[in-house]
Amino acid sequence: MRALGPGSVASLLKIALDCAYVVLLLALGAVAIAAVAIILSLPFITNGPHGAITIDGQVVEVGILLRRWPALEATLLSAGLYVAALVVIINRLRQVFTTLTQGDPFRPENVGRLRVVGLSLIALEVIGYLVRMAVLWLAPEAKGAIQFSVNLSGWFAILAVFVLAEVFREGARLRSDAELTI
Amino acid sequence: MPIRVNLDRILVQRRMSLTELADRVGVTIANLSILKTGKARAIRFSTLDALCRELECQPGDLLRHEPGPPDDDEGMDAG
Repeated sequence: MRALGPGSVASLLKIALDCAYVVLLLALGAVAIAAVAIILSLPFITNGPHGAITIDGQVVEVGILLRRWPALEATLLSAGLYVAALVVIINRLRQVFTTLTQGDPFRPENVGRLRVVGLSLIALEVIGYLVRMAVLWLAPEAKGAIQFSVNLSGWFAILAVFVLAEVFREGARLRSDAELTI
Repeated sequence: MPIRVNLDRILVQRRMSLTELADRVGVTIANLSILKTGKARAIRFSTLDALCRELECQPGDLLRHEPGPPDDDEGMDAG
């Protein structure tokens, strides 16, 4: 299989990254619109029935959920932060990928980009716990459905990204040496 | 870099221009300039062989060692 160009693994990855980037931007926009809409509509929510949702087998009135201030805002904010961290990761990966398609991935800038990806993955793990805590605060009925366990595969992925960043640093040094070898 | 390149001095002694040397050894003028100004990180044996052949000298005539701190190879931080 070709390394670059049409039909290569790189081209498929580029399509996947571009799609993920667009989806995440839309998700970030949706979270922002939902947050603004909910916060603006709060004064108009009456005590009347607004429908109900089932959380972990328990029926909860939507109007009650929307009046649980500031748990609602905390949930929306943490969800927004989660999607924003994902956008940062995909954005940096796209920048790394651009250097790959230009045939020169071992640039010093990519070391910093991979470190940002690693730090964002750490932020994602932490924000993930915040999201769960906020949801639990907003809807204590969901206690049975939310688990606070350590995501080992996530932490191993973070380790792998930082190792890759160091590999890229050495690659950038070798590239510089090769450029200045006469 | 504690390694100094004496290309300038030898070129003057041989009354040869950098352009002429570049033509003879098959290395670009830009690369020879990097070598001459001491910015090169390494030199291939094949390049050294060509330079010694065309300048009729020994590797020791082209290079000399001056004790000093090594170059900062870690200047690759992207931040």
